[in-house]
Amino acid sequence: MTDAPIFVADGIEKSFGGIQAVDGATMDVNRGSITALIGPNGAGKTTFFNLITGFYRPDQGRATFDGREVQGRPPYVIARLGMVRTFQITKALAAMPVIDNMMLAAPDQPGESLRNVIFHPVAWRRREEEVHEQAMELLDVFNLTRLADNYAGTLSGGQRKLLELARALMARPRFLLLDEPMAGINPTLGRRLLDHMQRLRAEEGVTFLFIEHDMEVVMNHSDRVIVMAEGRVIADGEPHEVRSDRAVIDAYLGGSSNGGGE
Amino acid sequence: MIEPLTIPVGVTLEAFTDIDFWTSVGIFAGIYTIFALGLQLNVGFTGIQNFGQAGFMAIGAYTMAILTAEEGMNFWLTLPISVLVTIAFGLLVGLPSLRLRADYFAIATIAFAEAIRLIALNARELTNGAQGIFGFDDSWDSISESIEDFIADLGWTAVPSLFPLFLVTWGIAVLLMFTLTRVQGTPWGRVLRAIREDEDAARALGKNAFSYKLQSLAIAATIGAVAGWLLAIQLAFVVPDEFQPVVTFIGYVVLVLGGLANYWGVAVGAIILWTVLEGLRFLELPISETKIAALRFIIVGLVLIGLMAFRPQGVFGKREEMVLGD
Amino acid sequence: MEAGTLAAGHKPTLGERFSNAVNRFNEAPYVVKAGLGVFLLDLVLVVADRWPDSFGEWILLLAIFAVTVAAMVPFEARPAAIAAVVLGNVVAVLILYHGLHDVAQRGVNGLSLGAIYALGAVGLTLVYGILKLVNFAHGDFLTFGAYMAYLVNVTWELPLVFGIVFAILTTALLGISLEKVMWAPMRRRGAGMLQLLLISIGLAFVIRYGIQFIWGTELRQLDVNRTATVSFLDLRIGRTQLIVIIVGFVTLVATGLGLRLTMLGKQMRALSDNLDLAETSGINTSRVILYTWLFAAGLAGLAGVFAGAITQLQPELGFELLLPIFAAVVLGGIGNAFGALTAGIVLGVVIEWSTLFIASGLKLAVGFIILIIVLIIRPEGIFGQARTV
Repeated sequence: MTDAPIFVADGIEKSFGGIQAVDGATMDVNRGSITALIGPNGAGKTTFFNLITGFYRPDQGRATFDGREVQGRPPYVIARLGMVRTFQITKALAAMPVIDNMMLAAPDQPGESLRNVIFHPVAWRRREEEVHEQAMELLDVFNLTRLADNYAGTLSGGQRKLLELARALMARPRFLLLDEPMAGINPTLGRRLLDHMQRLRAEEGVTFLFIEHDMEVVMNHSDRVIVMAEGRVIADGEPHEVRSDRAVIDAYLGGSSNGGGE
Repeated sequence: MIEPLTIPVGVTLEAFTDIDFWTSVGIFAGIYTIFALGLQLNVGFTGIQNFGQAGFMAIGAYTMAILTAEEGMNFWLTLPISVLVTIAFGLLVGLPSLRLRADYFAIATIAFAEAIRLIALNARELTNGAQGIFGFDDSWDSISESIEDFIADLGWTAVPSLFPLFLVTWGIAVLLMFTLTRVQGTPWGRVLRAIREDEDAARALGKNAFSYKLQSLAIAATIGAVAGWLLAIQLAFVVPDEFQPVVTFIGYVVLVLGGLANYWGVAVGAIILWTVLEGLRFLELPISETKIAALRFIIVGLVLIGLMAFRPQGVFGKREEMVLGD
Repeated sequence: MEAGTLAAGHKPTLGERFSNAVNRFNEAPYVVKAGLGVFLLDLVLVVADRWPDSFGEWILLLAIFAVTVAAMVPFEARPAAIAAVVLGNVVAVLILYHGLHDVAQRGVNGLSLGAIYALGAVGLTLVYGILKLVNFAHGDFLTFGAYMAYLVNVTWELPLVFGIVFAILTTALLGISLEKVMWAPMRRRGAGMLQLLLISIGLAFVIRYGIQFIWGTELRQLDVNRTATVSFLDLRIGRTQLIVIIVGFVTLVATGLGLRLTMLGKQMRALSDNLDLAETSGINTSRVILYTWLFAAGLAGLAGVFAGAITQLQPELGFELLLPIFAAVVLGGIGNAFGALTAGIVLGVVIEWSTLFIASGLKLAVGFIILIIVLIIRPEGIFGQARTV
């Protein structure tokens, strides 16, 4: 395992009709780390996620994942490279069963190509069985097994969050970007999620970057904290350092009235 | 003056059992089934709102007719060529429009279909304009005769002349329904359904949504072309008037009648609709032909509104899988 | 950096290749894009019409091309200005080929069609913008208005003025009734876009074939003078057409002023822009929506009477106009009434100009092609704001 960061963002900028949503965001994420991205509302965190995962095109700047440039590439390409994200408002595929949601996410499915469906039925059926097994195993980890055949639309909010995470994991990511994974989840469930994250990091070297508002989670479960405000990175370091950083405090309190705003 | 015991609305019973008539109705129901299967793939299973299906039907029919009747090509050869031409148009429409949001895509496809119809109406050297093309069904006639003979050998001598077409149409329809249902259960089909549910989620999981939507459109276009051939054979001519937007709209009525989640339901929707539409012919209402024709469409409109208001999932759709609630 | 940076073994599909090409094109310098666009436009015009006849014409054509591209450069970020420049290019080429008189003549003819499109489009765009409803029945509001005027003007033998007023009132009433009886309840039930669209199709059937049921399919005429013409500046125009243009434009100007200056107009535009925001700012949305329908349907009814006056009445009258009206709505930016107004007039004129070099039966196809091109290049329309889809 090299020491080079798995992900580097350099000067990412994006404006929407005159409003600068992201204003030169620069950061790097170390391999196998659990990094929290925090900041007041409107700081541009989710926009940043969208920019680096291909859902928006940056006006300026570069993003590099594992040595490859990814800015401006379509989302599906970035996902296939191993950089998978979840959404703040969960995107459960409501009119499909939970198991289908899971199996969809698996990579390298020959059955997804029409040509293989017609000409190589044996190959894709075999992989389909594999994927089904893996999906059930993963559902088991998250205690969702009994819901496997239910439509995802019938799941509660917390269950959907778990499904979102489980589904993202099916995609075998090397870098997982979670947008507010704890929001709306009760503490027990949340702890299970965090335990699983730690296990994945330890056993498979998965890197995590998550946006979070729950400071307890941020302070106690991340190696590093990056703070964004007004579209820029204003602090970057270990949790205890960041907590007492002047700029961070100002950002959360809205900036001082004399000579304030960044 | 109406006598108290006279029922003002009469029904001719013998007409009800006119087998030639109902065979013809059955053929139209079959053609619309095939037509709407393409729509089901697009709307019910991929979530793209293709309102240009009549245009693809026209392209399939005209390509076959022009090549057979005017260029003298072998009928069987024109079919695969017609498929290729239709797919080419499908890509032509899809490449620029599929990245647009749903309502824009609907408008773009309907504009495409109308442009095709207008071209067919005005490009007289190519399509013979409003008079249309005919004389392409010689090959079909010989097949039809062979089928008739075959059935006669089996013992049934009073075969209606349209029965072979009925058999072929429904044979194709059943084959398509079977194939589509099987393909829908594959991982490929699963990606389509995911795109229908939430395209961004599918993309975030590594699926090239655009490519799949394009494939779905191309396949629906091909299915539309097949419906076009059968319509051409049934009518024995091809005219632009047969491919108006109302055809696509009726296709949608068939679709929502049967429900958006099921390929076999499409057949039910088509049969119900055509039985009702044609059955109305037998009501001896004291009004003129044109009025009855208008009344049929009014009923179709009311059925569509009623369905959407009270049972949007149609006959076979499941409430949970109901795609229509956004 | 390896080629493509795609996952191993992944061959770019056709769609990807197209997207990549489009992206590369987007990143080219503006002058190149402008030049290429104008070049293609002039190429299409030349191929559809004819190649330059003489050396002089070649020079002038190239001059027009150069001036156009030069004029586009300072307006890179102003789509309306660019559209105006492109339009200027088309006018210049047409004048070059057909002379000022013909171009002016067809242009004037096109104004009456344009007025009809604009009247239809303004209402449609507001409804579309506020309710996100693709209303396929809007064309049939036009038909309805035309036949209502027929009822008063021909059946009851009253002057056309009464027919116009009656048409506007009854169509407006139809619009409001449908909103109360159908659209509002469906919205309350959380009906999705496709559901509403299909309902509008069903409604279109009911109105159109209801009209056919009552009046049949024969072509009918309003009691207007079809032959009298008016001349000015060496141009001729039918008297009825002129009335349509005058009344139509006056109505459009009044509409524009109303939308701009009155409280109700501002509220309508606010709703069209952002429904949720408008709701939270205390606007009585259901009342404004009702007024919007009243207004949209009334304008549609008027447009229908005009269409019937300059052509003939048949049940398909409105539906045939619907697609060009949709084109105007998209061109002008959905929800943007001023955009729809301008686009409708421009579209009418451009469609009429196209008859200079293509068969008159195909002129509507020009409208569709413009629609498709706009959807490709700038789906939010000339006056609309770019959205991230």
